[in-house]
Amino acid sequence: MTDSFLVDAVFWLFAAGALVTAYRIFRTDSMVRAAFYLLASFAAVGGVIVLLGGEFLGMVLILMMAGEMLIMAIVMVMYMMNPAGLNPMWMVHQHRVAVAAGILAFAVLAAPAFLVDFPDQANREPATATAQLGEELLGNSMLVFETAGVALLATMVGAVAITSRRGRYGVADDGSEEPAMDPNDAEVA
Amino acid sequence: MSEFPSPQLAVIVIGAVMVAAVYLVTVLERLVGSVVAGTPWQLRHGLAFPLRAAALLLVQRRGTTERPDAAGWASAPALLTALAAVALAMVPLGARLAAADPKTGFVVFSAAIAFVMIAVYLHGWSSNSALALHGAYRYAAQALSFQIPFLLATLATALPARSLSIVDIVTAQQPLWNVVRQPLGLPLYLIAGLAVSFWGPLNLPDAADLAGGTSVQDSGVARLLWKGARAALLVAVAAMGAAAFLGGWWGPWLPGPIWTVLKTLILLLVLIAAGHLLPRVRIQRFVVVAWVVLIPLALANIFVSGALLLL
Amino acid sequence: MAGRGIRVGLRQALAQLAAGAPVPVFAVAGAGARERVADLRLSREIELVDEPAAAQLLLIGGLVPDVLSAPLAAVHDAMPGPRCTVFWPLGASTMPALMVPHAVRIPDSEDPVAIIVQAQRAVLTGIRASDPPLLPDVDPNPWRGIGPYGQGGSGMTGGTPYGRPMAELGPDRDGLRLDLLPLAIGPFFPRFPTGLIVEVTMAGDLVVEAAIAGSPFAALGADATARRGLQPFLRALSEPVSIAELEVARARDHLRWAAGTLLTQGLRALAARVLRLARSATPAEASAVASLTRHLELVRVPQWSGAGIGCLDRGLLAGLGVGPIGRAAGLAEDARTEDPSYMALGFEPVVMHGGDAAARWRLRMAEAVQSLELAGRAGARRTRTTGLVESPRGRLAAGDAPFERLRPLLATLLANLEWGDAVTTIVSLDLDLEEAGLVSSSRVGAEAA
Repeated sequence: MTDSFLVDAVFWLFAAGALVTAYRIFRTDSMVRAAFYLLASFAAVGGVIVLLGGEFLGMVLILMMAGEMLIMAIVMVMYMMNPAGLNPMWMVHQHRVAVAAGILAFAVLAAPAFLVDFPDQANREPATATAQLGEELLGNSMLVFETAGVALLATMVGAVAITSRRGRYGVADDGSEEPAMDPNDAEVA
Repeated sequence: MSEFPSPQLAVIVIGAVMVAAVYLVTVLERLVGSVVAGTPWQLRHGLAFPLRAAALLLVQRRGTTERPDAAGWASAPALLTALAAVALAMVPLGARLAAADPKTGFVVFSAAIAFVMIAVYLHGWSSNSALALHGAYRYAAQALSFQIPFLLATLATALPARSLSIVDIVTAQQPLWNVVRQPLGLPLYLIAGLAVSFWGPLNLPDAADLAGGTSVQDSGVARLLWKGARAALLVAVAAMGAAAFLGGWWGPWLPGPIWTVLKTLILLLVLIAAGHLLPRVRIQRFVVVAWVVLIPLALANIFVSGALLLL
Repeated sequence: MAGRGIRVGLRQALAQLAAGAPVPVFAVAGAGARERVADLRLSREIELVDEPAAAQLLLIGGLVPDVLSAPLAAVHDAMPGPRCTVFWPLGASTMPALMVPHAVRIPDSEDPVAIIVQAQRAVLTGIRASDPPLLPDVDPNPWRGIGPYGQGGSGMTGGTPYGRPMAELGPDRDGLRLDLLPLAIGPFFPRFPTGLIVEVTMAGDLVVEAAIAGSPFAALGADATARRGLQPFLRALSEPVSIAELEVARARDHLRWAAGTLLTQGLRALAARVLRLARSATPAEASAVASLTRHLELVRVPQWSGAGIGCLDRGLLAGLGVGPIGRAAGLAEDARTEDPSYMALGFEPVVMHGGDAAARWRLRMAEAVQSLELAGRAGARRTRTTGLVESPRGRLAAGDAPFERLRPLLATLLANLEWGDAVTTIVSLDLDLEEAGLVSSSRVGAEAA
């Protein structure tokens, strides 16, 4: 194929990108940047999956990770004592242990890439990927996906219900503080 | 599968289309604004305005703030431009005229749309400015709220086509356009489209009550790129609406690509007119409406479309 | 050398092209200038922008009190180059302190647009140098280099990096303890009247506390002239004024307020339409105003932004004499009912119910129509009572302005509102610091002296 060089170059670009951005997650000094480096790493992995023929899976990964990493960034800013996440900070505690653990984990996870004998023949892309996916979802894996689907729907409904305006202690716009434990302690408004 | 002869040519064409799209949106917006304001519109003045305004922004120096996240601030407009390009590339002009026609073109488009929230958040957060940060967080709430109605409304158009490829979705509209057989789809799509491109009534991140929101500290080239990327995204949204709901290239007498352009133009005018006529929606109200009204409507749309297909 | 020549040539070509674009102006309207500055919005050659970063020209109109000169210098420095300052006296004799001494002046008789365009062209083509910065470029809180990461403190995150201390926790309206962000918005926030400084403490997008300072225009001496729309009301304090003139001024003021509200809601084109009507409204155009009101109701202008927002109860407003705000809450208080000339015309105050921002919008639009109709019927009648007048904002007397009577209510009104709703509320209240400053006791005392 004439553009196999292009495909190889793109693969190495994505692979190197995934590794470099993954490393940068721990070396950057900003939480929001860390979350977005993770997003970049996932996006690169999604690109690799597309190159491997899993078009749907790869693009869905990118689609999902966008929303998830945004929420991750927001939640990190929310929980850390760092105004708006703009102050410099370290991403790890216990430096030496973290570095050692990281290198060890990377070695363990990367070893299969060199030690395993992966199949070699070219894989022709199925012409009916969507149909096959549909048959898998509603055939062999129906129980898994339907359970997951119902659980997700319940989560969505629950999340909407939690943010409902009429809370347990009154309408949200007026503030819904719970009554004090001791009625005599109730603050005078 | 239909593709351009080479990917390099496709990239050049998409670039040219984006520049044309930004120009068109700028001219149309001033035109509709003049009509609404009741001022006469001078043709030469209006046609030259985009070039002059772009030159003005190019001449302006880039200002900065105290310790912004420089990489994020610079990459946000570039990211938004790239996303608009990807979204625009997914829309086919004709049966054999598409920049790219992946078998899951719909998912690629949706991924590009989902990534917009990253670009807007980076744009607002990076400049280390309170009002910009506020705009970024507003868009986070807005984006997470419109995602599901947007995906569901556009996914319903894939049902009759039995395929996620945009070309197939348009091809399946030959007997009947989706706007007719899925009446809820186009209004939902337009509302979600206004939300994704934060235009007009849903322009919450760059709102006037935040003195420009995420763009409050932008100047010079960065400002030009951001405005251009927003315009290109609006055209991408309109183009996909034309393809998925208004039948793309199908139509009598005129050749297919002309129909696509005309239909895109119609949707673009609708979106721009909404921007000039409808006031900005409160963020709290939009979030509630998106979760409590739009999602059930979108689900109903999918159920009904699916049921009709099975019958 | 050739490359440099090409670059210079390109920049000059760009500058020539840019000189034809609408000039981005950040306009600051001091005492006496609010209307003339707002009217610049109608000009095709000028674009009034909301943020200094987008502006290339700072227009200072009228008299800006000295207490606002430091924020004004900060706004000037926030404009990236090439920048220029233009001063439009409109009755004021001096520019605020700290401002560029060689700013371009617009003589009172000349067309401001032409001079602004000329100044911009001069700066773009290099004939006139870009304004140097006014304030020194130093950190107000030195923090760099202190602490292990240079962040200004001792721990992982500490000290006051970027001049901001660690976020304090504080109670939220729901009893949660969240990070609080103290902000001072103003005095040149584009949606607020000039000089309004709102010191808010935000928890996310909610306003936890808000404090509004007094009018900075109170310190003005006899140097300040009121804007044209305010002059009939100030004259009515001391002498009989033609009712037609007064009511037309009232209608125009309400329409100008409506244009400002439309800008807050992002409707620039509709705001320009209303502004044009406001500039030239005459009794003959009462029906045009009425149909415009109906059209704006159709596109949901009051409902979407103001329904249920910023409610002020009748009980709180009784006796305050805050004009449209009280009448929108159901109180029929209007100083015009004490004037026999008005009663002879059959005047009855318009009253709406609800007390929210949407009701205030509807009331002011209804009052604008009513005022134009009254002006059409008034003929040559003049007001009979002096010392007290109903301005477009409420009962006005020497030393007694509606803004000052309303100010104590604002802290509770703005608490627990989302920021967008807070802006809608403040805009719906039509606070006028210029009016408050011009009738304040210090100035009245200065005039009497």
